[in-house]
Amino acid sequence: MRSRGIHSVGTSDAALVRRVQTGDTRAYADLVARYRDRLGRYALHMLGNREDAEEVLQDAFVRAYRSLSRCDDPERFGAWLYGILVNRCRTAGARAARRARRFVNDPAALETAPLAGPDGRADWDDTVRWALARLPSESREAFLLKHVEELEYEDMARLTGAGISALKMRVKRAREQLQAMLKEAERV
Amino acid sequence: MFEPMDDVIERIARHLRRPVQVDPALDGRVMREISALPTPGGATMVGKAWRWLRRPRQFTLTPLGGLAAVAALAVALLLFRRDSTSPTPPQVASRAFQFVLVAPRAARVSLVGDFNDWDATRTPMQRTGSDALWTVVVPLEPGRYHYAFFVDGSRWLADPSAPVARDDDYGAPSSVLTVGGGGDS
Repeated sequence: MRSRGIHSVGTSDAALVRRVQTGDTRAYADLVARYRDRLGRYALHMLGNREDAEEVLQDAFVRAYRSLSRCDDPERFGAWLYGILVNRCRTAGARAARRARRFVNDPAALETAPLAGPDGRADWDDTVRWALARLPSESREAFLLKHVEELEYEDMARLTGAGISALKMRVKRAREQLQAMLKEAERV
Repeated sequence: MFEPMDDVIERIARHLRRPVQVDPALDGRVMREISALPTPGGATMVGKAWRWLRRPRQFTLTPLGGLAAVAALAVALLLFRRDSTSPTPPQVASRAFQFVLVAPRAARVSLVGDFNDWDATRTPMQRTGSDALWTVVVPLEPGRYHYAFFVDGSRWLADPSAPVARDDDYGAPSSVLTVGGGGDS
């Protein structure tokens, strides 16, 4: 994988994976420590709150451990783990969305609703998180993978199962929506 | 490929790329949880064989070899068709499924999917008494269907109560319904 952040330094992922597979559980702690913050960042931005993000992250690490024998290429453990996390975030996000849609289930209504915006001129961080949370989950996922995790479209396609043209479209829409929201927020 | 980003997008991306510190106690929680699990082990011989079979490969073929392969395939197909003696497919019972969407501001909603060739005119949904709910009942045979709601002739919505279609290559949201012989998901 050519992505900038999924590969590792020091003892190779493959060496650690092999140690885990031969019964050295402590080696898995090294893998967890290696990927914890990086994957945590994606989960936090994707789900919007730290508690959900850490729960999903823990779940992804445990699932990866259980399925380690199915990791085709231990050299690419990071990318494989990333795929598990992306799926867990989707599941958690869909669950949260279902909860929310019991009350409102009309995207047009949401889009045209008065801008609630970050209250009291919150700072840039609040504004960005607020705008990110208003993106459709597929667009948010594509935007984060492309512009924050800096993956190539080919890698994104492998992680998400979506086609490259669909991903490009999602990124484009996300950029347009974020730009529009941020401009609007700055006017309020 | 170099892709210029507008200032505001670059600003957002830079902000989101800042490192995030996850509670280091998470490591302990993960390790406690996996300590109760068996050692995962390496890939089994069967697993390796299966992956070997799935790995894409490139073959080179001369035009003559290609013609021979096509001819062999045609002969095999002819023989297979001659031996085939089951012209009537087994009867498959369809079951009725009710699709529901909450869209209080919509003026018209259609159900579109694999079962109606994504034709928005074939399965219009009806607004129910509450005014917010749109419903329609469709008989479906066992199978896996992609579908979506088409709202006001312009917007596609996936079904929020169903799994999202992962192999959605068209960029429009859609959902998946699997109808089994005895149940659905």
